[in-house]
Amino acid sequence: MKKAVKKFGSGAKKVSKHLTKYLYERDTIFSTLWVFIFIVALSQIPINFYFLNPLKLAMKDFDFNDLAYSKLGKGKLGSSEDSKFDKNIVIVNIADLDREGLAMLIDKTASYNPKAIGLDVWMEDAREPHKDSLMREVVRRTPNLVLASRFKPSTDPERDEGDYHSNYFKDSTAGTEGYVNFFNEDIATIRIWNPTTKVKIDSVTKIRYPSFAYSLIKLFDSTALEHLPSKKKEIINYTRRTLQYQIVEPDALFTDNVDSAAIRGKIALLGYINIDPNNIDDKKFTPMNEKFYGKAVPDMNGIVVHANIISMVLAKNYIKKLPLWVVWLVAIFIGWLHMSFFIRYYLENHIWFHLVAKIAQLASAIFFTYVGIYLFDRYRIKLDMKLSLIVIVMAVDVIYFYEAWAVWMHRKFGYQTVFKPHHHGHGDEHGGHDSGHEKHDEEVPEEGATKKEEESSH
Amino acid sequence: MKKLTFLILASCFTIAAVAQNNFLLYSFKGNVSVVENNVETKAKVGKPLNSNATIKLTAGAAATLICNEAAMFTLTKPGTYALKNFGDSCKVSSNSVSSNYVKYVWAQMTKSSGAPGSNRKAYMNNVGAVTRSINNIWVDPRLDTVNFSSGDSFPLSWKSYAEAKNFEFFLYSSDNISQPIFKTTVSKLKIPIADFINKLKPGNSYFWTAAIKGEENEELKIFNYVSKEAFAQIEKEMKDQGAAFEAPAEQAYRLAFMLEDAHYLAEAYQYYTKAATLDPANALYRATLMSFKKDYEIK
Repeated sequence: MKKAVKKFGSGAKKVSKHLTKYLYERDTIFSTLWVFIFIVALSQIPINFYFLNPLKLAMKDFDFNDLAYSKLGKGKLGSSEDSKFDKNIVIVNIADLDREGLAMLIDKTASYNPKAIGLDVWMEDAREPHKDSLMREVVRRTPNLVLASRFKPSTDPERDEGDYHSNYFKDSTAGTEGYVNFFNEDIATIRIWNPTTKVKIDSVTKIRYPSFAYSLIKLFDSTALEHLPSKKKEIINYTRRTLQYQIVEPDALFTDNVDSAAIRGKIALLGYINIDPNNIDDKKFTPMNEKFYGKAVPDMNGIVVHANIISMVLAKNYIKKLPLWVVWLVAIFIGWLHMSFFIRYYLENHIWFHLVAKIAQLASAIFFTYVGIYLFDRYRIKLDMKLSLIVIVMAVDVIYFYEAWAVWMHRKFGYQTVFKPHHHGHGDEHGGHDSGHEKHDEEVPEEGATKKEEESSH
Repeated sequence: MKKLTFLILASCFTIAAVAQNNFLLYSFKGNVSVVENNVETKAKVGKPLNSNATIKLTAGAAATLICNEAAMFTLTKPGTYALKNFGDSCKVSSNSVSSNYVKYVWAQMTKSSGAPGSNRKAYMNNVGAVTRSINNIWVDPRLDTVNFSSGDSFPLSWKSYAEAKNFEFFLYSSDNISQPIFKTTVSKLKIPIADFINKLKPGNSYFWTAAIKGEENEELKIFNYVSKEAFAQIEKEMKDQGAAFEAPAEQAYRLAFMLEDAHYLAEAYQYYTKAATLDPANALYRATLMSFKKDYEIK
């Protein structure tokens, strides 16, 4: 037993030595710096190469965390405390009811005394007069009803401009409405919710318009909004799919086949629901899509997206997105560790360098993707690991560039580097530089060293 | 110390014995009633039930319940069910995201490689998860659900395990599976959609089955007659996902693949044909079209 522990200990020590031997070398630090210089430089090229890259186009909407929903069981009923059946919300399917039918449905729902009712139907203008009259009357006598409006923001989000379109029946209410649309591209995944939007009316006046979910929460439990981290922009924490909410069909409601406990005191959302995956009417792309890349078929009815937002606010289950500087700091740290490891193999076991580097890249990609998913699943922390993965991928190629650069700097300015042209020889120069790599000579295989010497002499 | 341990254990057992599962009647169809405190009432959607309640189902009825807000199960057979016996149905799978991640990575790394073009079936999700009773007729699982908008020449096909000269084809509306709305006898192992499409209304779902003449086949397949407008929207969504530089033949091939995956088989056939016509020199397009025709008995 003691022997095994000792063996394990020495193994761990060896691995740690591989990782840290060159950690504090100036070459490791500068080559890591070069990786970031390349990343920044490439991102600054004004020419758009996007259009030539179908993979990039397909990945434009890609987020590693979507893997957690599509393949790892996140968001399934009972998979976590957050994904349990939501008792605060009931969704009433409006099916294909016209305005007369909708008026009856609102009336019937209101008779069950929900705390708030949301009608996710955009009614822009007049239709059939008698049906409109019925709807207007129902809207008038249902003070806890939130109607759907629309808001189209200007292309520049900093300008506080946009077009707001009220619901046709809004004038007969006490002004309870909220925009139901999301401010993203039509076929993009809905990830962001804008709780309210400020619009500049003139140089002095600004109006703040609430979203549909925001208005409903205000009616249901206005104290929940006090915990809202931002009134401008929130990442939606999807926790439930359609069947994790109580769905009530209109027929069941009209024929009194619904228990009063299902609606009383809750938020009743009236919207279109169809659980057939091939029916894409009023369906949106969400991170819960079965496909986490190249999403082809939208997966969630709009009303369920609103329900998820409400669930998030009521449970105070917000996603904390780590700021950009943390993303860069993590990427720098990971890049630094990898560079130290790669340089060690590059110099001392070059014959194995490519194999080890590829294995390390694969293992790191798997591990750091997991870290991102784990933080997201367990702590609702969104850490974008894409930059870190790019750094790991680029590190190997940058070593070759850095070697040439360091050697040139050495010749020109006497820059101290472990990549000296004579380094790959028999190592007798090694003791010369003060980084304590005296053991290189023992570890460098003869053939590898000779090969590198030939390469260096070019 | 012993007394304290005994007390803690006794308390744990008492808590475990007293803990009850809470149920919620999520949905039901047919005649379903609930018995609580010896009082029988009509079932209602969203009714909370404790584990002392009993549910009664008559023939053709079904009830879906949620236990402890975390597990869902459905009762479909007629009978009387005491909810206290459904403790096992309240158990929730304990697979964590971490363990699922390890399984997923391993599965992906050990999966054999290939390309969607050369082995399109391996990349599709169009096979249903359910297989039903065995009988003399076998219908390819990819025809389990067919979405259709246009392309009458596409056939619904089947295989027969027994030698037979004639087969009967039955078509039912979704709300009445006792009386077929269309019935015909065919000698081939397929029937073109054109033979019955005029009996159907766009926007509706239907069931179909085929049987050796004189025999019965209870295995019903779904046929969704999608309206032209709804299909145009799907087609547009798919087209919009293409790259700006996509050639017409490439686009046709991509659409065909996506449509087949979404069960729009007749439409997929049209696009596979289009791809092969637009770029006749492309061996992949030709091979895929041949393979598609073979799979779905298109001659």
